[in-house]
Amino acid sequence: MSKYSSDRKMTTLTRQDLNFGQVVADILCEFLEVAIHLILYVREVYPSGIFQKRKKYNVPVQMSCHPELNQYIQDTLHCVKPLIEKNDAEKVVVVIMDKEHHPVERFVFEISQPPLLSISSDTLLSHVEQLLRAVILKISVCDAVLDNNPPGCTFTVLVHTREAATRNMEKVQVIKDFPWIIADEQEVHMQEPRLIPLKTMTSDIVKMQLYVEERAHKAS
Amino acid sequence: MDDLYLDNIDEFVNDQNKIVTYKWLSLTLGVHVNLAKQMLYHYLDQKRKESSGQLHATYLVSGKFVENGTMSHKVSVVREDQLEEVKSKMSLTVSVHVYSVQKAVLKDSGLLYSADYDAIKENLQNCSRYSAIHCANAVPMTSAEVQQDRFTSQAPPPETENIKSGINGHSGPVSKLASKQPKGIMGMFANKNVSKNQESDKEIKLEQKEDAPVVETSKTKPAAKTNPMSNFFGKQSVKKPDKSIKEEVNVAQPSSLGKKPSSPPPKADSPVKEEPPKEGKDVRSKTKRVDHSDGEENDESQKKRRRIKKPQPDSSDDEVIPDSPPQLQEHKDTSSSRESQVKTEPVVVSHSDSSHLNQERSHCKTRKRRRVLKSHTFLDEEGCMVTEKGYESESYSESEEEFKTSKPNQKIPTPPKPTGKKEDEKKSKKAAAASNKSTKQASIMGFFQKK
Repeated sequence: MSKYSSDRKMTTLTRQDLNFGQVVADILCEFLEVAIHLILYVREVYPSGIFQKRKKYNVPVQMSCHPELNQYIQDTLHCVKPLIEKNDAEKVVVVIMDKEHHPVERFVFEISQPPLLSISSDTLLSHVEQLLRAVILKISVCDAVLDNNPPGCTFTVLVHTREAATRNMEKVQVIKDFPWIIADEQEVHMQEPRLIPLKTMTSDIVKMQLYVEERAHKAS
Repeated sequence: MDDLYLDNIDEFVNDQNKIVTYKWLSLTLGVHVNLAKQMLYHYLDQKRKESSGQLHATYLVSGKFVENGTMSHKVSVVREDQLEEVKSKMSLTVSVHVYSVQKAVLKDSGLLYSADYDAIKENLQNCSRYSAIHCANAVPMTSAEVQQDRFTSQAPPPETENIKSGINGHSGPVSKLASKQPKGIMGMFANKNVSKNQESDKEIKLEQKEDAPVVETSKTKPAAKTNPMSNFFGKQSVKKPDKSIKEEVNVAQPSSLGKKPSSPPPKADSPVKEEPPKEGKDVRSKTKRVDHSDGEENDESQKKRRRIKKPQPDSSDDEVIPDSPPQLQEHKDTSSSRESQVKTEPVVVSHSDSSHLNQERSHCKTRKRRRVLKSHTFLDEEGCMVTEKGYESESYSESEEEFKTSKPNQKIPTPPKPTGKKEDEKKSKKAAAASNKSTKQASIMGFFQKK
């Protein structure tokens, strides 16, 4: 049932409206890029020397200068974007692993998008920006609640999809030479995880929950 | 005062894992900032005695600081572990108080800005409601007055103050700002004789900077206007070769330049945006470019515009292509008289930085070479990726220099004056890791404009 709103500012968009899906996906991917860089900085996965202060959502954030790292993150998110557009991505997980490739920490971004909603664009922007800013701030101080990681950690990004969306991804390489593979069981599941919630955000266009699963004993 | 506030702070810090700055606390609880500072102190004290859980704090230290023989007033926000060290370096410690309390170790000072951002934004009109700094004369100008200012050629240092008022709520940036200022100002005066006059100017200037918007006193031009950039242009057009005025000009100018490179509060956008158009109008001053051995000043002026530490550039003489005649005749006299001053008065030569920068901002379309900070990424012999930031000569046109200092932190709306090309050039110069920047992140606004 389509809605005709007398208030010109309100528009009802559905998931079929691809523009809307793209918009949300763009916003989320931008946010995830900043969040991943920030996680790498805060958790000291890479030395802080490669990071540089940049501005996002009107606050300073740390982003890496290393071209290969940046390219990797961008390619990753580029592939994730179509999944978010179609609302197939359930979770995006940034996994930090120790030298033996056992996960020590998993930053889980649970994303859900409401199927039908009305957008009033003038307040929406600043509201969403404010919420994302709060998430960024929360990530920045998360090392108060997490134990230190052992040295020599690496990271990877996993995407949990609904249904079997990844079948399509395997067939069609979104980016050349950047294949996605089914994650190993050991990367996905962690032994004795401790759950630490970081932030929940609810807005008209997306609901996101961020929590950290942490291994109880990190030293290998 | 009852001890309920201790529980409040405890909840914020421990349960919500917030960074509690004194400013945020004063706005949240509705108390005077000094009371908020005391609250934080007591809280910290109590928790330390109980030794329950780990808390970290940052402090704001301000005092007199002597560097290279010049005295300045330095304000900085330091972590607790650096507190004693910074205090010992100061010749006189004027004030120390708790700036923030949080659970996490702060690796990054930008977080202090982010922590306050929303609270300040909500209280934008009266963010200094609980502030301890007051000035009865500080009243926002009415728009009529602002219009009037725009069209007179007098330059107003208070533009600096207006911008400051924008960031007044942020003690973090202000203090960082102020701590940058001494360096900028001290660098400016490195070659100059330190005179009591200068120092008092500096002191007054710096103190004023920390104030809420202050209408500039009679120290500078009467009918003070709102443009620090055109501050010294205004001085030129007045044709007064007073040393004291020049000093003030220099004090205002490096402070304004010093200000620019530091973190830009979003509210400063509109006052800053006003600047370049004003600059454009005021900057008709154009003097023949005097080639002084101002390599050092050049460096310093470039240093002020940049936020990052960079390798010391060699002193560069800009190649000067013969001037095209100044575009505006009315300032010819001023320029020649000023020029002669520059040549004759020995003390003015050391102030040449301001005139140098004046000239840079003129509308003369002279192509010059200058040294620009660029970063290169390459693989060195060990196969390691190296990013180096270095100075390179680059040819540019003088009119581009104008907006240089207003650019550094403005990635959003640009002043109407410059062309798109200049803008891009600036942006690429300014971003230190231009070559390594990830693809441009469009602002969140862009998406919704598609509709």
